[in-house]
Amino acid sequence: MGRYLLKRFGMMLLTLFVILTLGFLVIRLMPGSPFDDPNYSAEMTRMLEEKHHLHEPILVQYYYFLKDIVTGGYWGVSLNLEPMTPVWTVIGRRIPVTLTVNFLSLLIALPLGILAGTWAALYRNKWPDHVISLLTVLFISVPSFVMASLLQYFLGYQAGLFPLIYDATGTEAVRLTSLVMPVLALSFHPIAMICRHLRGELADNMRAEYMITAQAKGLSLRQAVFRHAFRNSLIPVMNIIVPLFTNILAGSLVIERIFGIPGVGGLMTRSINAKDHWLTITVLFFYAMIHLVTVLITDISYGLIDPRIRLGGGRDD
Amino acid sequence: MIKRFWHNKAAAAAFFVLAFLILMAVFAPSFTPYSYREQVKNADGEILSNMPPKIPALRFLGIAQGTAVLEDRQTAFLDDPARYPEGCILEVRNRRVTERGTEYCDVLVDYYKYMKAEEGTAFWFGTDQLGRDIWTRLWRGTRVSLVIALFAVAIDMVIGVSWGAVCGYYGGKTDLIGMRVCEVIHAIPNVILCTMFILLLGRGIGTMILALAVRNWVETARLARAQFLRYKEREFVVSARAMGVRDRRLIFRHILPNAMGPLIISATLAVPGAIFMESFLSFIGLGIPAPEPSVGTMLSDAQSMLQTYPHQVLLPAVVIALLMIAFHLLSNGLRDAFDPKEEDSEE
Repeated sequence: MGRYLLKRFGMMLLTLFVILTLGFLVIRLMPGSPFDDPNYSAEMTRMLEEKHHLHEPILVQYYYFLKDIVTGGYWGVSLNLEPMTPVWTVIGRRIPVTLTVNFLSLLIALPLGILAGTWAALYRNKWPDHVISLLTVLFISVPSFVMASLLQYFLGYQAGLFPLIYDATGTEAVRLTSLVMPVLALSFHPIAMICRHLRGELADNMRAEYMITAQAKGLSLRQAVFRHAFRNSLIPVMNIIVPLFTNILAGSLVIERIFGIPGVGGLMTRSINAKDHWLTITVLFFYAMIHLVTVLITDISYGLIDPRIRLGGGRDD
Repeated sequence: MIKRFWHNKAAAAAFFVLAFLILMAVFAPSFTPYSYREQVKNADGEILSNMPPKIPALRFLGIAQGTAVLEDRQTAFLDDPARYPEGCILEVRNRRVTERGTEYCDVLVDYYKYMKAEEGTAFWFGTDQLGRDIWTRLWRGTRVSLVIALFAVAIDMVIGVSWGAVCGYYGGKTDLIGMRVCEVIHAIPNVILCTMFILLLGRGIGTMILALAVRNWVETARLARAQFLRYKEREFVVSARAMGVRDRRLIFRHILPNAMGPLIISATLAVPGAIFMESFLSFIGLGIPAPEPSVGTMLSDAQSMLQTYPHQVLLPAVVIALLMIAFHLLSNGLRDAFDPKEEDSEE
């Protein structure tokens, strides 16, 4: 286990390094300079570029970039959006709201998905199952940003229930109500995914022999499902939750823009458009890191949740 | 198998919805008097922006008549033909007098007359902020999105299947190296890879297609490899090889046709994935460049005007949703038709 962990961790660092390098090259090879402001004189642009080493050959720049990170943990400063603020400060300020939105969606999705999945499995091939399957297909297919538009129009604009965009200046209560629609928009997909997985697992488990045994010794179907099949089905479902979180995180890139939430998501677009190089690289790195960490956690959790699964063996799919 | 597919009502319905959308995407843009990029102007040279929908054929239903309500207008100016061209006022509502004694009202106008649009002008879905016909743009956008998705999936299939076939068929060192490459590419998150790809090559339809295919082929390769591993030791392959059939022929003529089922299903599932990703990238500002529309760019451009012109947001939203649902149902139907054991809902 220890060796396997070490190997996976090493692979993860290597991948992150590859992403960092690729990101740096791509962003530095883009035409244009972050200081292409018509208000700046040519002299000023040149001075600014020299200050940030932008006039040097790209390999030298890359050397400085890596050296700063390795020796001082210094990732550079934001150039345009929030001039001279260290990039991690810019990002760090926005992480809480992004995490709030994402965790809330997962928190809503878990019980609802489990409830719907169990219900569908209990009434398999009867009308509740059909209705839930239909909704599942609907929620899985319709992208979160389309859901966001529909919610914004019907709940926010027509019914006037919730504020259309996030109000960062409002009181705690106002901010919470303005999070309702973004959280909802992000929840539909995970709800449907959890529901579909759980229904499938439960359906398989309900045909297992131990269910017949349980019913033979006098448990009702419902009791047997909740005492036996349910527990066994939850194990595989737990494994999709961590990847679902990455999905929600990616979704919130767009959702944050739609609802004007000042999170990390909106930062990516804005920094790309403003040619805020170091910020773009760091945001890309941030997302890649979260993605890789969640993949690692998922793989490890397979073994932790169900010790029958041996880690490190041929993981061919 | 085909019979089983049609037996599945949802899949059949999805097929027809999809057929309708594709037909519209192919033909509708050619049969409108407006172009997708031209800004329509009135006789005075003013751009007809944000016109409401007007569909003359639906007159009797009372919807989409090209009317709009102008709020808080001073009643005193209602007779001024310079502000309100003749015959454009349909109804004056909600007359009220403010404390200063000025009378205000809301006016229901025929917006086409109000904007002095030429006689006979009718934008079925209205125009966007830049005065371009939304009906034309919507279907052209659907076409562009579909083309991008289909090409991306086609590239993904060609590379993925050949890669997976070679890895699976030859095995050994080839397999090891091939799969390692896949692992490395797979480790980079999709959004990040697409973003970097588009930043590097610049925004455009071609870049978009490549960006969507650049990581997805890995999944296809894995699936194809698994399929080849399954079939390569089967009797019919071994006997063909014993008869001296060459590797290439074995791969393409003997194994591939048998291995195709799951690959086709995965391809139909990859299409909505590509449509989703294209819209998603439009939202982060990496979509295809203007003036070419795609449903994704139309949705993301109109997003900020939801309150004033909801139809501009809802129309592309509905088209995206329909496309995604239809492709998903279609691939579910295909999966069940290929392999009826998978789903237990068969009575």
